[in-house]
Amino acid sequence: MAKVEWPDRAESRAEMNATRTTCPFCLNGCTSGVEFNGVVHQMHYFTDAEVNKGRLCPRGNSANIVLDHRDRLCRPLLDGRDTTWSEAEALVRTWLAEVKPEELAVVYSRGRAADEVRRLHGLAEELGTPNLACGHIEPENCFNYRLEGVRDAGLADIESATAMLLVGDVFSTSPVASWRMLDARYKDRKNRMVVVDSVRTRQAGFAHSFVQVRPGTEPFALLALAALIESGLAPGVDVDRYVELAGVKRQQLEAAAAMLGPAMPGFVASAMHTGRVRHPAFHSLAGQLVARAGVKPFVGFRETELPSGPMRFADLRRKMAEGSIKLLFWTGGLFPFSYAELLPEAAKVEHIVATSIFRPEPPVRGLVLPLTAELERASAGRSYWGEVERSPLAAPLSGTRQFGRVLEWFGRAAEKPEAAVRPVGAADVVAMAARAVDAARSEAADDPDRVPNRVLLLGEKKAIGLRGFHDPEDEVSVNRADAERVEVSNHGYLMVKSPTAEREFRVRVTDAVPAGVMMVGTNVHANRCLFPLEKDELTGEVTVAPTPVSVEKTESMPVASGENPSVWV
Amino acid sequence: MKRIVLRPDYCIGCRSCEAACRSRFKGEARIRHGEVTTDALLPQGCRHCEEPLCAAACPFQVIVRNPDTGVVRKSDFHCVGCRSCALACPFGVIPPALMRHMSQKCTLCSDRPEGPRCVQTCPTGALQFTEDDRMPEKKAGVGFAVRSIHGRRLA
Ligand code: SF4
Ligand code: SF4
Ligand code: SF4
Repeated sequence: MAKVEWPDRAESRAEMNATRTTCPFCLNGCTSGVEFNGVVHQMHYFTDAEVNKGRLCPRGNSANIVLDHRDRLCRPLLDGRDTTWSEAEALVRTWLAEVKPEELAVVYSRGRAADEVRRLHGLAEELGTPNLACGHIEPENCFNYRLEGVRDAGLADIESATAMLLVGDVFSTSPVASWRMLDARYKDRKNRMVVVDSVRTRQAGFAHSFVQVRPGTEPFALLALAALIESGLAPGVDVDRYVELAGVKRQQLEAAAAMLGPAMPGFVASAMHTGRVRHPAFHSLAGQLVARAGVKPFVGFRETELPSGPMRFADLRRKMAEGSIKLLFWTGGLFPFSYAELLPEAAKVEHIVATSIFRPEPPVRGLVLPLTAELERASAGRSYWGEVERSPLAAPLSGTRQFGRVLEWFGRAAEKPEAAVRPVGAADVVAMAARAVDAARSEAADDPDRVPNRVLLLGEKKAIGLRGFHDPEDEVSVNRADAERVEVSNHGYLMVKSPTAEREFRVRVTDAVPAGVMMVGTNVHANRCLFPLEKDELTGEVTVAPTPVSVEKTESMPVASGENPSVWV
Repeated sequence: MKRIVLRPDYCIGCRSCEAACRSRFKGEARIRHGEVTTDALLPQGCRHCEEPLCAAACPFQVIVRNPDTGVVRKSDFHCVGCRSCALACPFGVIPPALMRHMSQKCTLCSDRPEGPRCVQTCPTGALQFTEDDRMPEKKAGVGFAVRSIHGRRLA
């Protein structure tokens, strides 16, 4: 057969316009863009961008997938069935007329821009309801707790750093920011990087000093570190006690303290994942305390920053459980609202109005309204490095509406300024530590050997943007010793049972997790359900912490979870 | 001839390269993470070999190397999806899964004057598109290391 001949085609794309904006998926503020050829959207990389030089993380690379995704919601749903916008509006108006102001609750979560949150605060005031809460309960939202006297880090601080402290897996939270950190690390052989984490992540491999703490005890190690950097930080800081609680060696912390002293310019960065940290506000503040002791700026890596509402989410849960909420308006990310296993209280609410970009999976009771994606509207806000403006990357999908038009059904919704940051003093952090020690003591009394094959389950942030959105996440990381104990080998199967759910996983034997600890990704619904919502006794915030589970060897193949895009958008 | 080179010491395993390729081709990525030695997880892409075995194995000679650009390309139009190329590739970088009845092979993004997407998106600059396929010069005292999936230095 003759060889097939065809030319190498460098398609002429000079006339193709790429739309430019700031990526809305996290606060790193990368410049991202898409090209539209009349049929599909494709990513465009703007190499002149200051923050990211055209580089994007897996999530940022999914922007075009979001725009063209087959699971986009483009018609209102009533109890899982298609309905029309006019019927939806009529229904909302009827429900509103039925309920008293105190029976209405409004919750906002990830995906709502700052101006929209301000309008929701104005709306709650106008409607006269006290039930306005922030539903973004991922630990990262506790970076809103800010220690007085700590400066925000800028890009220049990272570039000129000689001493870096990374708490948690910063690289996987913001891969694009890691490039400057690695450049700083390699710039001079004297430069130092310290990593504090409970899991030996890939990031830990870049550290000069990797402080591996017991899961959930990062704040104790950090407080001890702060006290070692700044002796006389505060009376009541018992370094030896904290070192013991964190399960680390004092000498290692002393060495880290020497690396991070005030003489060295640098920064402290922190990241918190769902299912990975206990007491997130304390965690955030302890990192900031190290920054203050070492005279360094601080940056908390997160996807969004939302102010808490006048009502705590925990109190709203209680009201829902009592049945005193008749109409719930939930807008933004659907976690934990659409998780019946985690928030059974929602079943007691009579009428539900939710908004979504994707068709919710599993379906949500009540009314679900299709909104334009973040990429299809203009907004303004803050990134870690300063103010950003976002312009629409594409025209709104037919059938969707802008959030403001839905708000009009409820009321006038004039903007009401709302402070996002909760300031805290250093003495409060030390007091928090004392209370956390007591909490740790009562946990220790809860004998881990009582339940057979009991382990602590941690959450892991995995790369997303793959297979449409993310991998199936049907693997559990198991330490070698635990694998022997429960008699499973690599690629064997384990059933993990938590108080809220159970799921089968394929085993990956690894030294990344310590003995007694297992780890699963937390992007898919089935895995998130394994982590019950907890109330953080130190602050009253609801959070998702490491959770004790029992494990059992099984023989069967786990069923792939499929894709569930609503989990993270 | 330009090639994609990986600096393992900068790769953080974020899989952005994979995501960029996948978001373009809406399916299997043509650069994927694989285990190197027993433990290290690093991106693996097409080498665009001088004597490509995938091309030799293709019964319809659909895979052709362009001697000027060095790009080994496959004509999707003529591909019958027999998977011979996937089996023949000594580096295992052609995914065995078919998409729209065709095998998926890296084109070095030759539809794009700016160069490969995976390189352009790599957040740390670990992937480079360069004339020189040797490792970059070592800076004094700074070695290039291969890291395991959980961060240990292997070599
Ligand atoms: S790091 Fe954040 S801003 Fe940058 S591409 Fe990823 S999600 Fe978008
Ligand atoms: S060069 Fe293009 S086609 Fe090849 S692996 Fe990279 S992104 Fe994929
Ligand atoms: S994008 Fe770059 S840093 Fe991320 S996995 Fe690929 S080569 Fe490594």
